Amino acid sequence: MNALYLAFAYLRYHWGRSLVLTLVAALIMFVPIATQILLSTSERALVARGDATPLLLGSRGSQLDLTMAALYFSDERPDPVTMREVEAVWDSGLAVPIPVHSAFSSAGFRIVGTTLDYFDFRGLTVSDGRGLSILGDAVIGADVAQTLGKGVGDTLVSSPENLFDLDGVYPLEMPIVGVLAPTNSPDDQAIFVDIKTAWVIQGIGHGHEDVVTAAEVAAGTAALSNAAVVQYQRITDENIDSFHFHGSQDGFPTSAVIVVPNDARSGTILKGRYLDSENPAQLIEPAGVIQGLVDRIFRIKSLLDVVTLIIAVAALAAIGLAVFLSYRLRAREIATAVKLGARRGMVLRLLSAETITLLSLSALIAATGAAIVSRNSEAWVGWLLALGS
Amino acid sequence: MPLLRPFLAVVLTLLAANPVAAQDRSRVVAVNYPLQYFAERLAGDEAEVIFPVPADVDPSFWRPSIADISTIQSADLILLNGAGFATWVDRVSLPRAKVVNSTAAIEDQFIRTESITHSHGDGDEHSHEGLASYTWLDPILAIAQAEAVAAAITARGIAPDDAVATRLDALRADLAELDRQATGAFDGMQDIAMIATHPRYQYLAQRYGLSISSLEWEAGAMPTEAEQADLVALAAQTGAQVLIWEAAPPAEAFAVAAELGLANIVFPTLAQGVDDQTYIQAIANALTAISEAKP
Amino acid sequence: MITVENLSFRYSATSFGLRVPAFHLRDRERVAIVGPSGSGKTTLLNLIAGILTPEAGRIDVAGTDVATLSEVERRRFRASTIGFVFQDFALLDYLSARQNILYPYRITPALTLNAAARERAEALAAACGIGDKLDRHPTALSQGEQQRVAICRALVTQPKLILSDEATGNLDPESKARILDLLFEQASEAGAAVLAVTHDHELLPRFERVLDFAQFRQGADA
Repeated sequence: MNALYLAFAYLRYHWGRSLVLTLVAALIMFVPIATQILLSTSERALVARGDATPLLLGSRGSQLDLTMAALYFSDERPDPVTMREVEAVWDSGLAVPIPVHSAFSSAGFRIVGTTLDYFDFRGLTVSDGRGLSILGDAVIGADVAQTLGKGVGDTLVSSPENLFDLDGVYPLEMPIVGVLAPTNSPDDQAIFVDIKTAWVIQGIGHGHEDVVTAAEVAAGTAALSNAAVVQYQRITDENIDSFHFHGSQDGFPTSAVIVVPNDARSGTILKGRYLDSENPAQLIEPAGVIQGLVDRIFRIKSLLDVVTLIIAVAALAAIGLAVFLSYRLRAREIATAVKLGARRGMVLRLLSAETITLLSLSALIAATGAAIVSRNSEAWVGWLLALGS
Repeated sequence: MPLLRPFLAVVLTLLAANPVAAQDRSRVVAVNYPLQYFAERLAGDEAEVIFPVPADVDPSFWRPSIADISTIQSADLILLNGAGFATWVDRVSLPRAKVVNSTAAIEDQFIRTESITHSHGDGDEHSHEGLASYTWLDPILAIAQAEAVAAAITARGIAPDDAVATRLDALRADLAELDRQATGAFDGMQDIAMIATHPRYQYLAQRYGLSISSLEWEAGAMPTEAEQADLVALAAQTGAQVLIWEAAPPAEAFAVAAELGLANIVFPTLAQGVDDQTYIQAIANALTAISEAKP
Repeated sequence: MITVENLSFRYSATSFGLRVPAFHLRDRERVAIVGPSGSGKTTLLNLIAGILTPEAGRIDVAGTDVATLSEVERRRFRASTIGFVFQDFALLDYLSARQNILYPYRITPALTLNAAARERAEALAAACGIGDKLDRHPTALSQGEQQRVAICRALVTQPKLILSDEATGNLDPESKARILDLLFEQASEAGAAVLAVTHDHELLPRFERVLDFAQFRQGADA
């Protein structure tokens, strides 16, 4: 008790030094723990998403790009495949294909054009509003709603992909008709539209006399959601009937196709059909791709561990030096204590008490930090994984 | 993984080849009357077949409300006609797993109509190639559509395989009988020019080698002076002897055509049903009328 | 109080040595030790306190033969029997004046910090004129005030013997006499004897007896 009392008095009196030592020690403890928590949560999230997506069909090319674009709606833009591939899977009767068109964005979030099957497949439910019904409708993920402060009744305008688009394709204003319940997955970060709406954004489908002109904007008759956009199309009751698509839908693009085989055998048969390297499409297992990514992350993590270890050793040496110097400075106090008849081992007790107090405080701080990280890890990892998009 | 299992279960149930008798009656939505009729005959009591378009609206130009869309989305099977019929399906989100295009197998027999040319804003002009949509007026194509509906009902386990097969045989026989009747009715009419009040009979004409020119009159209405003038001009140009009406107009309209020496025939297009007549009866009656009116 | 007989001591690594044939300090007696630097005055205090152990001879303090005690026993003996006052005060920066006074209680199980000890600390501080400064840290006290705190610390354990090593050495001339008087006053009130090493010859008249240390020196020339 007395040793603790003195130790605490000492640490409190030299609070600056104590604070620095405590924080440094806390940091050394916290960083590896936090990294571990975030990494294992990322791994779980990544692997879970991969496992939940049995097969992925896309243009032959980087499997990682394809997986990232279709599962995490990242910035990668794999070459599109045509809807003919989707129909081919339907026709096979072996699986349910779900197109994912993730080439566009709005307000920093990916616009994901898909079919209603996607919502059933991912188990997404609408927490507010309704699901996709009409061309132009947008249903947004929970994070999108929170970040943009938008909800049912608001609108989003797609970001212009090419300012010099000679086809005269204008961004599309989309009414938000629903907000999805959060799932702590990339779906929270996406704006879902019918794939036909994505085609309208792409200019494959369009209406007539549907452009909100600069003059209308200036006159205040058009609500402006994106200041950078002076002209955009809006699908209204009046013009919706004029929206149409040119050509056969079989030729329309999608970034990727999630393929849900009826059973393992169907999956194997389907995979066999895409083995030919001459086939412009490939059918991959995202789980394997993700596992490869996770393995790579963990290789980097082990490097990070070494770095952390080196820093920890250096920091511990620095702390040791600081403690040693402070004990040198306290040699006089120790001599006094001896003269006053201090018990044997008093010095050791005093120093231990100080060290233990310091480390306990550090551990407490590190533990608090770790608890905070742990509690928010799913959300933060979701955010981290979405950083690419 | 936790999401995958129930989804797969649903999919498996939907696509199951063996008939699984549904606990509740399945719900089938059809976009026109013929598909409704085929589905009702093929599914029997096992399914409730919904044709959501109100009786006074042309299903080609119907625009569903949000409530209608909700009903359609929740159906177990959505039967589309294809061939460009009911373009609202392009502007509505439908669960692809439940949608069946009944003309997917006969796309090579589609009839292309004249192009429509237009431009967008400052953009260049471009054109749409139109498709004739009223496939079911050709009994042979109707058989293909009925077969597609039967396959869809069977694949989703809405009704037992054998029952559907039996019903399909009966329906196929009825449609084949219509074909026979039509072949007879149109026999010798291949060289007779005809005029339709609306361009709806392309498939019928193609099947039986008819030459039918078209006007753009409103169904069941008294033609205006201008429309009558169009008819006079077209009749003179083609030497037509028959005028086909989508729906019976006022008696004076028949008189106008009769004065021009045209035989009046009402041949319902059946996108909407006709009162008190099934698809089979309505076409049979029209064919009977043609046989009787044959010049 | 103290009886020293035939005491001899030598630092092992040096030629320095000390020999005290006989020295006696009565109870409550106040004795000054004078002598040139390096004559072994502080060494004698350390021998009496049991911090150093003699080569030979007997040191009896309050009836205890210090030289025969074990290390642990000497520490206990020192803590409970002797009060130290140092030239540099030897206060701890990080403790308040009050906690500095109570410091001996915190470093040895030989003493128990109880309410009586706290009351004694208060009373001593009040008597030494620093009763209102008990919550200050040493850095916020003047030199004289710091030495008063040190005196309180030496006396709070109620020792029978106060060893003072140049206790007034760092003080200005006016303070020296006052602090020494205070030390004597408090020691006599506590009934403790005082053995004080000092260089301040003007203070010598205040002691009952003066011991000149030059006689005990046993250097390399001896």
